[in-house]
Amino acid sequence: MFSNIFQGFVTVLSVGPLLGIMLGVCVGIVFGAIPGISAIMAIAIILPLTFYVDPIVGITMLLAVYKAGIYGGSISAILINTPGAAASFLTSLDGHALARSGKAGKALCMALYASVTGEMLATLVLIFVAAPISLISLQAGPIEKVWLLVFAFTVVGSMTGESVPRGLLSCCLGMMFAMVGMSSLTGAVRLTFGIPDLMSGFTFLPVLIGVLVMPEVIDAVRRRKTPHQDLVLKVSDQPADNRVSLREYRSVLGTIIKSSGIGTVVGALPGLGSSAAAFLAYGEAKRSSKAPEEFGKGSLHGIAAAESSNNAVCGSSMIPMLTLSIPGDDVTALLMGAFLIHGITPGPTIFYEHTDVIYAIFAGFLLVDLFLLVIARFGFPLWMRVASVPPYFIFPCVTVFAVVGAFTANQSLTDVMILMVFTLLGYGMRLVGLNPAAFIIGFILMPLLEQNLDQAVSIVGGDYLRMLSSPIGWIFIGLSVLSVVSAIRSNRRGRRRMAAFAAAE
Amino acid sequence: MPNRCLQIAVRVMTRRHLDVILCSALILASVLILTLDGLALGGVETQLGSMLMPRVVATLIILFSLMIGLPSLRGLLQDRPLLPTEVIETEGLDGVMIYIVIFTAYWWALPILGFLVATPAVIFAVAVLLGGRSWLPMLSMSLITPTVIFYGCRELIRVYLPEWSF
Repeated sequence: MFSNIFQGFVTVLSVGPLLGIMLGVCVGIVFGAIPGISAIMAIAIILPLTFYVDPIVGITMLLAVYKAGIYGGSISAILINTPGAAASFLTSLDGHALARSGKAGKALCMALYASVTGEMLATLVLIFVAAPISLISLQAGPIEKVWLLVFAFTVVGSMTGESVPRGLLSCCLGMMFAMVGMSSLTGAVRLTFGIPDLMSGFTFLPVLIGVLVMPEVIDAVRRRKTPHQDLVLKVSDQPADNRVSLREYRSVLGTIIKSSGIGTVVGALPGLGSSAAAFLAYGEAKRSSKAPEEFGKGSLHGIAAAESSNNAVCGSSMIPMLTLSIPGDDVTALLMGAFLIHGITPGPTIFYEHTDVIYAIFAGFLLVDLFLLVIARFGFPLWMRVASVPPYFIFPCVTVFAVVGAFTANQSLTDVMILMVFTLLGYGMRLVGLNPAAFIIGFILMPLLEQNLDQAVSIVGGDYLRMLSSPIGWIFIGLSVLSVVSAIRSNRRGRRRMAAFAAAE
Repeated sequence: MPNRCLQIAVRVMTRRHLDVILCSALILASVLILTLDGLALGGVETQLGSMLMPRVVATLIILFSLMIGLPSLRGLLQDRPLLPTEVIETEGLDGVMIYIVIFTAYWWALPILGFLVATPAVIFAVAVLLGGRSWLPMLSMSLITPTVIFYGCRELIRVYLPEWSF
């Protein structure tokens, strides 16, 4: 393994990947820092560009956008109390309190150091855990994979939706749209209703951009009358207020390590995401703190807990995708799409079929942290200025980039029409509380389910009960039931709380 | 006036109405998938068949649609008070409609006018819609961005965006 990692560093330390990482970090910070634009939008827009470069350059660039985007969310959270990403909500509590007292520089530095430390720790876990897990998952045959995918659908569907039926319905809709067009197994043309343009199915990229990115543009159009706030970094006269000293960093290191651990575990579980990690870690840091009353009023521990945990999710969320082919959230679904477009199928075999690529990507992952540290630390004033660009300069360009991105997939205007249709679908889904991430995961995983089910049925012949003969299969069935039951219980509790709140109002 | 009509229409519409309409449409579509023959054409015979999975998923869609639609229908019929998540915000929806019209016109105009002519108009229109009034920077952005994208795509990644077709 160590020789592979060393080889990975040798591969990634060349001009192409390094430029890709630098560009990705810059784009990620800027997009992450602009309220209303998420890292996923940046990744989706950059994605078409990566088709034309080496997979190592393309995928490390996307990962750089992802990591820097999650960190970038903390900039607007601290400076104007508006989180650029949902996961930065808790950072805004303590970070903005510090900024109000003239210590914005200290808050930004703490967010950066905690983010980078959390990311690095999670990346190390990813590197050392992914390959051994893939060895275990290699033992799984088609029957086990079918149950694993059923588990993935239920856990993602039940955890990500506003309610369990809505999450599962979103997933089923994605699965249904994935089956339109020519079946890769039988060659039959399905569900096209006589429309010849649908024979090749819905192209991934327009669907992805339409469902995940364009609704954010529509949201920006809807909120267009909300006043725009410039990001301004007020530098304090006291140098100590503009930086984090080594003593301060050492004092929060325990919190960072514990929160990174929480973020790593939460990230490795499909469907939970970085916001859940931040809330859990923040709660734990507050519970175990000697001064819990300082949380929410400018506590460095609060910033460190929220930022290290939500950034740790970036690394560990890749574990289920790379070892089991299960993307846990919308960003990893998108990254899985990027892997597939580059001809690399995420899953246990990736460590044997694409050893050089995967370890170069791991090395790139670690380098992204270093680049993020340097670029973000020394470019604060520049990023403030770039991220303060008014929305009427950004969203028209995003619209055009989305159209160009959809067009480049097949150089066809049909894909632009598909983009339009899925934009409306994606926005409609948000209006009725359906989850776009669950939709995309259903869309990506459905072909894998069909393929494995076909192989499993061939193995069991006519004796379908043999589908239930695998102990590993039963574990996944149990986990599926457990995830649905626990999601129903937690949603019921949430509804009761909301009803009580509404009654009190 | 259209803005006012839209706001009145949406004020009447709540998440419950949308749930009932959406679930009815999904159930209808799923029943069609379950009952219609000829939705799969050609292909080789396999043990599973080409339509098994679409029908399994269609059944699940009916099940989940009922789980969403029935409580909403009951809430509507019994006129229960709305939860905060069931209220649809109407503010800004007129802008959304205009954006969709611009987007549709862009798709329609692309093969006729070409990328270099249609795109500046769209960028400018969306910028104005978003409240932009810095005319000169907006005009510059509308002209420079499409030109850079058009030639960048052509020269760097060999993607040929639509050109003027007259």
